[in-house]
Amino acid sequence: MQIFESYIAGSLFDEVYDSKKNVRECWKDIVKNIEDSGLELLKEKQSEIDWHLENNGVTYNIYDDHNGPSTRSWSLDPIPFVIEEREWATITKGLQQRAKLFNLILKDLYSEQNLIKDNIVPAEVIFGHKGFSTEVFNFGSKPDFNLYFYAVDMARGPDGKMWVISDKTQAPSGLAYAIENRLTMNVIANDLYPNIATKKLSSFIEDYKSLIKELSGGDASTAVLLTPGPHNETYFEHAYLSSFLEINMVQGADMLAKNGSLWLKSLSGLKKVNTLLRRVDDRFCDPLELRNDSTLGVAGLLEAMRENNLNMINPIGSAVTENIGLNPFMGKIAQYFLKEDLLLPQIATWWCGQKNELEYVLKNLDKLIIKKINTTEQSRVYFGRKMSLLERDAFIEILTLNPHQYVAQEEIGFSTVPYYASNKIEPRSAVIRAFCLKKGDDYSVMNGGLVRMSASKDNLLIASKRGGISKDLWILGEDLLNKNPINPLTFTTCIETCIDNISTLKAENLFWLGRYLARSISTTRLILHLIKKITNFYRYEVVTSKESQLILQNALTHMTMTYPGFMDINNKKNLDVFPMLEITSVIKDTYRTGSLSSTIAMLSNANINLKDLMTHESWKLFEKIQKEWYDFIGRKGDSTMSVAGELDKFLIYFMAYKQLVNESIFKEQGLILYEIGFRIEDALLLISKVKSMLCVKLDRSIEHDVLEGLINSIESLNAYRAHYKNALTLKSVLDFLILNSQFPKSLMFTAKELLKEFKILPKAKEVSTSYERAILEIEALLHSIDLEILIQIEEENVVYMELDKILSQLSDLFLECSNEFSNTYFSHHDE
Amino acid sequence: MIYDIYHKTEFKYQSSVTFSHNLARLKPKETPFQKLLEYSMEISPTVYESYDFVDMFGNSNTHILIREPHQTLTVIGKSKVEILTDGIEEYIENIQKNSISYESALKRLSTFNLSDLYAKQYLFESELIPNNSFKIKEYALESFHKKRDLFEATTELMNRIFNDFKFLSGFSNITTPVEEIFEAKKGVCQDFAQFAISALRTIGLPAKYMSGYIETVPLSGEKKLFGVDASHAWFSIYIPNAGWIDFDPTNNIIPKEQHILLGSGRDYHDISPLKGVVFSSGNSNLSVMVDVRKAQSETKMMMQMQQSQSQ
Repeated sequence: MQIFESYIAGSLFDEVYDSKKNVRECWKDIVKNIEDSGLELLKEKQSEIDWHLENNGVTYNIYDDHNGPSTRSWSLDPIPFVIEEREWATITKGLQQRAKLFNLILKDLYSEQNLIKDNIVPAEVIFGHKGFSTEVFNFGSKPDFNLYFYAVDMARGPDGKMWVISDKTQAPSGLAYAIENRLTMNVIANDLYPNIATKKLSSFIEDYKSLIKELSGGDASTAVLLTPGPHNETYFEHAYLSSFLEINMVQGADMLAKNGSLWLKSLSGLKKVNTLLRRVDDRFCDPLELRNDSTLGVAGLLEAMRENNLNMINPIGSAVTENIGLNPFMGKIAQYFLKEDLLLPQIATWWCGQKNELEYVLKNLDKLIIKKINTTEQSRVYFGRKMSLLERDAFIEILTLNPHQYVAQEEIGFSTVPYYASNKIEPRSAVIRAFCLKKGDDYSVMNGGLVRMSASKDNLLIASKRGGISKDLWILGEDLLNKNPINPLTFTTCIETCIDNISTLKAENLFWLGRYLARSISTTRLILHLIKKITNFYRYEVVTSKESQLILQNALTHMTMTYPGFMDINNKKNLDVFPMLEITSVIKDTYRTGSLSSTIAMLSNANINLKDLMTHESWKLFEKIQKEWYDFIGRKGDSTMSVAGELDKFLIYFMAYKQLVNESIFKEQGLILYEIGFRIEDALLLISKVKSMLCVKLDRSIEHDVLEGLINSIESLNAYRAHYKNALTLKSVLDFLILNSQFPKSLMFTAKELLKEFKILPKAKEVSTSYERAILEIEALLHSIDLEILIQIEEENVVYMELDKILSQLSDLFLECSNEFSNTYFSHHDE
Repeated sequence: MIYDIYHKTEFKYQSSVTFSHNLARLKPKETPFQKLLEYSMEISPTVYESYDFVDMFGNSNTHILIREPHQTLTVIGKSKVEILTDGIEEYIENIQKNSISYESALKRLSTFNLSDLYAKQYLFESELIPNNSFKIKEYALESFHKKRDLFEATTELMNRIFNDFKFLSGFSNITTPVEEIFEAKKGVCQDFAQFAISALRTIGLPAKYMSGYIETVPLSGEKKLFGVDASHAWFSIYIPNAGWIDFDPTNNIIPKEQHILLGSGRDYHDISPLKGVVFSSGNSNLSVMVDVRKAQSETKMMMQMQQSQSQ
């Protein structure tokens, strides 16, 4: 008993040791295993766990105002929380009863409201609770309006019994973390805890899948998981669950409502959705009838429910049962609905809206914790004993103004459990989250759960939102039903497997990812080239003429459309002397449309919405880009050369990212949309550069400089030399950039590739589509070009009029193609 | 008394909208004192689909989906409403007779009473009428002494609002906080209604927001122009043991035959005549035009409409 010697629990009840300091029966094997293996092995297993979790990308998103959203990794303790079989059977019965009760409460509150009419629950507890959604009134009698998924937080009280702390009914989280904890524990269990039999989780997942199948009328492909998106703190869980349950994960913007139904926008058209596994809170689900500032829902979603065309796990309105004000009445409710006593004990709770209760609370404030019935993670909890006299008086005034808004609870110390903290074992208090799922008329309870512990030894408050430390919950005993599970838990990636199924939102993001990445690369290159020119980086024997620098500067303004930019006549003097001021703004000013920084912001927006399609590596690289970019633009006083150095670095990052994107998914899975976006953007930017740099007639010496600059700015000087033996001339450069059918960046090549790629898309037709027609026109236009005519110029003219004209036409056609493409695939107007 | 009501709401969008979900609430409620004789709704552009339903507050809702490009959405509700004045005096007298003191009302509301249950929906803060400051509470308590009869006290509160607040359009909009209205002591009918509701709820009494119309009468000798009316708002208080009774603080009267009820709720949000969600860039602008007049023969009405349009 060496390791556990230092483990002294100060609590009234310890999970491992009984009051006589003997190890409880169900912990004997675990304690022996740990003593036998020693702290060293525990330490090793801890790092193994950390590695697995990190590798699987198990994270919790944390908001950080300064650096945008960041993630925190999940942490899991190598010592499980153990409950023996018989106790768990009792708890299970209690959980099933509680789940049934909450289902009955939910249905009643949104239909007959007998609980209120028969004086079982005070009306104030319901009407005064913000979770009560008047909009779904009368939905409760619908047969599919049920509490399907229910979670309970519980902890062991001083009497050794499991006590209910709170009920989660709206969109309970934690299931995926519990599963991932189990899978990770499986890895170390063989070495650390050989021969300990535990109940398995897989049957619960199977039940979940069957439920979805049943709700969706047998076709689970019409069910989706609705997530608030990648910024949500449990986004990892949404992605993970959708994979486990083999359903698509979508966001509100992925859907629209019409014909009294909900539809998923996919690249090949609209697909009906009849079941939602909802991870968006009640009030955010429909901006028409619920919160009108929500961008997470779908307008018309409630109408689809009203028309009986949409089932939900859990239905909108279920937040009303996440109501601690119901606690004091649960005993009465159990009698009312089931004629049973409440099986699981709850913490004694007083609702202050009643006269006698309020008097009791005011008299015993020292011993109580006061909470609002409308609890949110942010809402305050008042500890009576911690208040000063002044605070107490102020609080009593608030309390008595709206007493029905408050409940008081007994302050209770929970049991402690051993936790491995850097080379020793310490006691911590822990809370278990258990999960229940509707199965026929009853509920199935997962034989396991998520255990969370306080972050420090002395802190009893367990805040899940801050990450914290978790444990796996082991229910001891052979799993008779699941000795040989047919479907052992496996992680199958369930991303859209073909382009027809890809959601429109993702498709659109892929398209724009291509466009913004092309724009980021081109902008970086042009700026880099310009800076090098300004600092005379190329060290020509002849000092580079100022004129070609000015042409490059104007080209930058044109290409980024950061007008007036270098063409600001009022600022000419300044721009002349300090061109870096303007360049720095075009690089760093995020709020300036067209700036590199604003382009990167758009790029990162597209990137984050594609998180589940991208590889882990590309995701990590992008996080690095973002972080270093924030650092870079926040820094002042960088020398011109170090700005060039930074841009060089980012250019390499972009190219690496581009490569990783190319490797992440197949063309047929949607990468083609990214490629189309990239090509169109690249073509548009090339035309812009050619237009601003080559359409003006120049002196021979300057012309050479400009031609070289243009080709350098697309990193293609070597390619040019391979194709054209001669020196740089206007005619061959134009031929290279516009007409060359082998050079991958030329307009001709781009047009041909686009036409090929269009044929793979779901809406490709025998007759050409509107976006195809634009490219066909481009092709015809390119074939009709006679370069000699384009560069003919009258003595008195300064502009190659024909060249300018044809470039404008080409640019318009590429833009038309992009717009038509968007209309065809992303808008779903006429479906 | 029979009224013809014309209520036009119009959204104008900065750029073309191709898909919009809207909720219209333009169909007047039926009550023991109000009968809906005729009702129709005109919508432009063409409606792709629409659904009617009645919400928890008993208001009629129409869910409208438009799926063609448009820059203006017009929804016009036309109704003919008969106000049944028979029995209204008795109803008010009855309320007055059964009204109880503020103290007994609080006591009764704190216990279970089947007939009070649904009034309790209107006891709590709502989106537009959050819980308010002690100052508003103090203002209310000046009229609501413990032993004071509720009907009497509410009449006084209405009277004080009418005298203390100045009717001034343009100062506020629907989202102006009640506290601000109270500080400035000015606003329009909906502000006064929401202020009164706020004051009543703050002192523990159920109150609801009433939305509707009132006929305006032109100065003698002048002809009434079409569309010069506005929607109107007032409040209703629940007096335990007696029932709901309306008060109009803007006009300092208990509504009888001049007020036409459109619908009611916890605040304006529950009965806003038209709201919508569009997929579009740029802003939208809502304009409203209301005409209320005593029913005449239809041809005469049409003539007047044309006249007023040509003016």
